[in-house]
Amino acid sequence: MISVTTGHLDTEVPRAAPRRRPSGVRLRRRAVLIEVVGAAVWCVVGFHLLVGPTRRFEVSLAAGLLHLFGVSGVSGALGDAFIIFGPGQQPIVAQLTPSCSAINSILALSALGFVVLRERAQVLMGLVAATSWVLLANQLRLISSLLAGRYLHLDVLVWFHDWVGAGLNFCYTIGGLLIMIAFTMHMPERAEQDRSGRHTARRPDTWARPGLGYRVELNGRPPAPRIRVAAFVHRHLLPRSVSRRLAGRRERGRIDYRIGHLEPAARVEAVRRLAGRGLAAHTATLVAVATYETDTEVLDALADAVAARQWEPVSDRQIAALRLWARAWMMRAPDDDTPTGKLVAVTGAGGPAGVAVIRALRAAGRPVLALDASPDAVGLRLATNAEVVPRADAPDFGDELVRILDKHRPAALICTVAEEYAALHPLVARLTALECATWLPDPAAVEVCLDKRAFAQALRAAAVPHPPTAATRAATKAVPGPWIVKPARGRGSRGVVAADTRTELHRAFATVPEPIAQTRLAGREFTADVLVGRDGTLLTCVPRWRDETKAGISVRGTTFDSTAVTAVVAATLRAVGLTGPANVQGFVADPQRLDGDPDADVKVHVVEVNPRFSGGLPLTLAAGADVVGTYLAGILAPDAPLPRLTFQPGVHMARYFAEVYYADGGEPVPDPLASA
Amino acid sequence: MSAVAGTSTPLTHSPADDAPPHHRRRLLLYAVVLVVAFGILGVNHTIWAISVFLDAVFLAYFVRHLAFAISGARWAERDLSAANVGFDSYTPPVAVLVACKNEELVVDGMVSALLGLDYPADALTLVVVDDASDDGTGARLDAWAAADRRLRVLHRAPGAGGGKSGALNDALRLALKGVDAKVIVIFDADHEPDRTVLRRLVRHFRDPAVGAVMGRCVVRNGIESSLASTVFIDYLSGYLVNEYGRQALFELPAYGGANCAVRTSTLRALGGWNPDTVTEDTDLTLRVLLMGQRVRYDPTAIDFEEAVSSSKRFWKQRHRWALGHQKCLRDFWRPVLRSPHLTVAEKIETMMFLWVYHVPVLCGVGLAFSALRAFGIGGPAPTSLVPLSVLLFAGPFAELAVGLLLGRVERRAAWMLVGFVPSFGLAILTITAAYLDGMLGRRYSWIKTARSGGVTAATAAATAPAADTAVADSGPFSFARRAPVQR
Repeated sequence: MISVTTGHLDTEVPRAAPRRRPSGVRLRRRAVLIEVVGAAVWCVVGFHLLVGPTRRFEVSLAAGLLHLFGVSGVSGALGDAFIIFGPGQQPIVAQLTPSCSAINSILALSALGFVVLRERAQVLMGLVAATSWVLLANQLRLISSLLAGRYLHLDVLVWFHDWVGAGLNFCYTIGGLLIMIAFTMHMPERAEQDRSGRHTARRPDTWARPGLGYRVELNGRPPAPRIRVAAFVHRHLLPRSVSRRLAGRRERGRIDYRIGHLEPAARVEAVRRLAGRGLAAHTATLVAVATYETDTEVLDALADAVAARQWEPVSDRQIAALRLWARAWMMRAPDDDTPTGKLVAVTGAGGPAGVAVIRALRAAGRPVLALDASPDAVGLRLATNAEVVPRADAPDFGDELVRILDKHRPAALICTVAEEYAALHPLVARLTALECATWLPDPAAVEVCLDKRAFAQALRAAAVPHPPTAATRAATKAVPGPWIVKPARGRGSRGVVAADTRTELHRAFATVPEPIAQTRLAGREFTADVLVGRDGTLLTCVPRWRDETKAGISVRGTTFDSTAVTAVVAATLRAVGLTGPANVQGFVADPQRLDGDPDADVKVHVVEVNPRFSGGLPLTLAAGADVVGTYLAGILAPDAPLPRLTFQPGVHMARYFAEVYYADGGEPVPDPLASA
Repeated sequence: MSAVAGTSTPLTHSPADDAPPHHRRRLLLYAVVLVVAFGILGVNHTIWAISVFLDAVFLAYFVRHLAFAISGARWAERDLSAANVGFDSYTPPVAVLVACKNEELVVDGMVSALLGLDYPADALTLVVVDDASDDGTGARLDAWAAADRRLRVLHRAPGAGGGKSGALNDALRLALKGVDAKVIVIFDADHEPDRTVLRRLVRHFRDPAVGAVMGRCVVRNGIESSLASTVFIDYLSGYLVNEYGRQALFELPAYGGANCAVRTSTLRALGGWNPDTVTEDTDLTLRVLLMGQRVRYDPTAIDFEEAVSSSKRFWKQRHRWALGHQKCLRDFWRPVLRSPHLTVAEKIETMMFLWVYHVPVLCGVGLAFSALRAFGIGGPAPTSLVPLSVLLFAGPFAELAVGLLLGRVERRAAWMLVGFVPSFGLAILTITAAYLDGMLGRRYSWIKTARSGGVTAATAAATAPAADTAVADSGPFSFARRAPVQR
């Protein structure tokens, strides 16, 4: 047995020369060539089969029309010819030659429609319309020629038919092509760009197909058609069951772009909801999510949903594609980055700045670890993870913070409490070992900002406009009133006392700890949110009026544009040597001059600088300056250049209270006022 | 000069070469052959024979247009929405070059878009060349460079010469000295690239056989005039159908001069851009192919550009394109036919591509013959011209229709195709004039396409900073978005 097998194996079987396998480009070329040849064959065969009947039909139609309108001197149809009696009643036989028939144009249009436009179902209707148009136009050509011969001269018939008719033939054939094209194109409400190339689909940026429409502001939506044929057919003509079945089929192929506009958490919910109805129900939308989505949480949700519905019959090729995608997604290599990838830790989660930063990060799709010394800090309920840390001045602050960061392994730490910088600086090496990046300003610069006496000296030395300041009662003699007395180290409006008389000034000096006195400035108060690059480049300065404040926090504000304010703010930051986020507070003495002239040389005084994000940060974000995202980018990539951030002046903010509810154990309690 | 493939000699522009080459003898030869043919065959037979030849040419181009339209209709839709693979994992060092000459109206939008490109900062070098502008372009660029240190600005001296090619060669030689850029990406000053365009262009360089990659240009100012919206539709067809079809059926897309990338080693091996042509893009396409490398096309690598919005600007632009393209045919037809790197089918397609700007000249000849026939010269049958003339339009119209469908443009745009009929007549005149200019050796220098600057994505956000925004400096400035200054 073995020898037989070996014998077989040793036998050299003569092999045919290996067939050369066609490359991809050859296969494509072959497919297209078959279509072109097919179209040519259709035209040639169709011409031979149809030219006779078409000519006879056209002659009969022309003769019928002429007789209908009472034209005499033209015989009835004689096969493919007429007898015409000219002005002198001399007879001539006018034959409709094959080249004068509309069949050439009709065959060419049908071939073009089939090979080029057949992906669109409307092409059939377009072809019918184009064919009707060509037939009618050729009748016009025939009848005009016959009338020219009947009433002018028989030679005119030939001339008109050959020359004017040739031009007409060209025009109506092109016209027929345009009619067919127009039928196959998208209606305005389904198109994605208008005829000028402006984006009209309202697709979200991330879901848009590249190059489909230039995004400029459009005035309103494209006008809806007055008559909705499809709606009429579905409502009044089709049986409900048929209409419902067609609607289901349409839904499977429709992409719901609205999902792309939602925030990540809402997108996760939407994906789960759609997949829960069955992969076959919203297939196109789910494939679009797999195609365009970049948020890993949303993609995880989709992959989970597909994995959970593996019992579902693969009734569509796109469902098979979804299954393949989910398989690849779940088998993907683990991320080389930090274990939690995008997690960002934020300190001071109870303060307005911390809350604003947490909300901004969540809106950008970032998971957030909120940290605060108070277990009731509201920011702890707004983040994905939360931990309570000791106060920054507590001896175990550093160790406890490192333990928490080691547990959650965030990629970055954002500090929103200026007083914590001093405690964080010694921890930088330990944070780096945990692959937790951070960006802390120079401690000396922070100290200058926190100590209002040192701050006043720094600004005086740099000749930055600053109110006269006295740190001792004796020195107040040189400071004109009225006054503001406040602690040299303090936050917000805590401990701030206004004094109009010397008596009140001295009383305030006695009650306020570590007091300083400053001339109370007249004018309009502003805060400028700024971001300074590590190299000292001012990346943005967003000044906003503090239209109304409560407990030192702006509750109503308006962004404004002023080169003078920006210049003074820049000089202030230069004087203190700060980098990272900050907010600069001051007064404009003559704000009315900025109305209509942002370059007006107004008088600006700076009162203080907080080396952190401000409580009014949401207004700056709303005005278009993404200081949080840019700062985070600067933390994660210290050497990368950061973009210059512009903002929209004239954006107003009106704040209101919002609530979160939680049980004793910290579990969330549903908001009874939340919209469904 | 004639381009030589595969040399590393820099293509420098020499003043001694300023006298343009002419082909007057060849024109004379054509005339003599025609007269001899008239004498031997008779006028009617000669015209008939030429008409048959013209019909054959038009039929060949019709089939080519139709094939591209079919390939676009079958596959392009899926290409546009296909998922990206390895989008973030391949980011070789890239240098972006832009040549500007008197581009004050558009330069802010362009620089703003460049600074917003999504690409690793440590792998990206941005260089803008101010080619001796005498408007505010240089100052604006300097202000941008002062505000953002990622941007390098190179000022050329007046009279440096070489047009766009000269400016780009200077950037390659001076601004990129010591920069280890593997890929060079080119934009024009009126272009505003999409954020992801670099990643989309460079991903094709994973294949070592690829020498250059072309992206897709989309018109952004179609709203400015009916001509601009006609050009918008023309671009849809040109990029989504014609260029796509050339890649799908022959793997021979063209490098287009803007929104395109070229491998630095390839470019240096070729000696840079050719300063003695006004279409350095077609010239480079041919030289890349002849050295055995490939050009690729990515229809999803988008940038938005400004279309000409007046007939005069349109005439000048198309005249320049025709002049340069026709010169490329004269320079390259022999090397193409002899190239060992191209198959027979590829040689045929390349020759047809090079002949594109001669076909309208032949159309002019066909129209002249039609006029002669009206006077009884050349045969009596004008009806025979109908299929010919319909073929002339049916192919391009099929491409335009597919372009509109792929672009998902609203239905009303179909009627704008009527505007292509007169524009085709204008093209016959323009391109014939360019042909005669090229053959007679009339002097031509770079004529910059005038801009309108009316439509920009970045509008108010993209104005040049008024002064240095470094905290270390002082001076009036603001980060507010202001309405564009009326220019």
